[in-house]
Amino acid sequence: MIKTKRSTKIILNIILSVLGLIWISPLFFVVLNVFKTKQEYNMGSFWTLPEGLNIMDNLQTVIGTDLFSSFGSSLLYAVCGAAFSVFIGLLAAYGLTHLRIKHKMFWFLFIYSGTIFPFQIYLIPVYKGFSSLKLYDTRLAMILFYTAICIPFCMFVLRNFFIGISGEVCESAKIDGANTWQILIHIFVPMAKAPLSIVFLSQFTWSWNDLMFGLTFTKSPEIRPIMASISIMGRANAPTMFLACIIASIPTILLFGILQKNFETGMVYTSK
Amino acid sequence: MTAAKKKKKYYWRDYLYIVPAVVMIGVFFISSIFYTLHLSFFEWDGFSEKIFVGFQNYINLFQDQNFLISVMNTLIWVVLSMVTSVLVPLVIAIMITRSSAITLFKNVFYFPTAISATVGGMIMATLLSTYGLPQIFAWLGHPELARDWLAIPYVNTFIMILTGVWQGIGLNMLLFISGIKNIDTAPIEAAQIEGASGLKMYTKVILPMLKPTIIVVLLMALVNSFKVFDSIWVMTKGGPYRTSETLALTMYEESFIYNRFGSGAAVAVVLTIVILVVSYFNVRNTFKED
Repeated sequence: MIKTKRSTKIILNIILSVLGLIWISPLFFVVLNVFKTKQEYNMGSFWTLPEGLNIMDNLQTVIGTDLFSSFGSSLLYAVCGAAFSVFIGLLAAYGLTHLRIKHKMFWFLFIYSGTIFPFQIYLIPVYKGFSSLKLYDTRLAMILFYTAICIPFCMFVLRNFFIGISGEVCESAKIDGANTWQILIHIFVPMAKAPLSIVFLSQFTWSWNDLMFGLTFTKSPEIRPIMASISIMGRANAPTMFLACIIASIPTILLFGILQKNFETGMVYTSK
Repeated sequence: MTAAKKKKKYYWRDYLYIVPAVVMIGVFFISSIFYTLHLSFFEWDGFSEKIFVGFQNYINLFQDQNFLISVMNTLIWVVLSMVTSVLVPLVIAIMITRSSAITLFKNVFYFPTAISATVGGMIMATLLSTYGLPQIFAWLGHPELARDWLAIPYVNTFIMILTGVWQGIGLNMLLFISGIKNIDTAPIEAAQIEGASGLKMYTKVILPMLKPTIIVVLLMALVNSFKVFDSIWVMTKGGPYRTSETLALTMYEESFIYNRFGSGAAVAVVLTIVILVVSYFNVRNTFKED
């Protein structure tokens, strides 16, 4: 990169530090209030230090709500949804790049179209479909739906990766007597480890953070995913709500830590 | 004959690889699109018989004050987020790449993006209620500002767009940072020898080279700004009195709060048409190299 003058660098550091403090100040606000009691908070003392360390009582209150069963449900939906969609996306990406299929571009656009339309257009039909199949408010429905909605992205990224792999690899494997399935498992999958893990983690994060579908397709607390549960908590008991927010953010923040190293590698495949 | 037959059999097996994806997409999404389109021509509360009304749902929409406000709000979101979600992260990314603590600053500015829009919205909604941030302005001598900012009609849309800057620049900033890191240094060095420096270096040399990244981010921001749902839903639920709704929220409210599925479907179709037009440029840009 370009060399930066020392004075410029210092000025930039100062500007960024001030901006950065503003950026994470809501976090201070959350931490400050998570230790307060409900009464203390509702007196309007948002900015005073907490009188005592009340966090354990707040944790008890959170445990008393159904947040942790939502947490478990979301974990199930996000892990299964991401894993199944990566697998299905992998098959499709392989088929659309290295197998003999007619009208590849048509099938590619067919699958990819899932991400072009605004998700609102799917809400009523899927809701009605789940209702009439007695799948509304079930874990199976949520897993199926998150799998379906993650497929286009998985297929898209893996296809971009597989296009770069020369067909000669397949030809020589075929001469050695490998069938298409063996070529996929023994040659393509090991090569695609990095993009596979990136799409898995990004689709996990997407499913975990989804609000709209979780809100629409569930009603009972133990089926409802975590973000939907957070959104209906209400702000009357803010200290508890803040604690729930922190708990709900733990998996995605951990994943960002993991993804960070691979982020730039990931961009090569995704931002095309 | 036998050779042709054998070849055909191979084809059949190869198609099995795309069947799961095609079936899932077909069942969940492609059929949904047609069903929503179909539903938009009916009046339906979700339980009783559907009544065919032709284009009446669409005509009603464009005479409905709430819908027109929603269209207006959507346009405000789109136009302002185009600026904020490209310009702000670009400037911050440029500053970060020239600072002394790249990783630290990167994490700080990405942090609100890492905690989903729902959690960010809940925190912001509390922070912006009467005794939060507005209270600080009251202490600084502006007692008239001490009220729940998100409850002020029409102003709250702009406030939410601002919180969207806080919440949503993370990803675009990371894209710009890796874009800046990956540009070719030779032209920059050449320009330095020529005596270019500071602002001129950016406008004449670096920004033109960043153009592909800027276009990707711009188009992504454009499409995404039509779809904002989570943060508005948790901050204002479109209120007060449906004044801060965007099309994404109006669709949800009409269908699942007021049980007017036909009208909700019509909003979804309008939103889809708009997004398809916009996405055309996005898709064309994505496949330019193919």
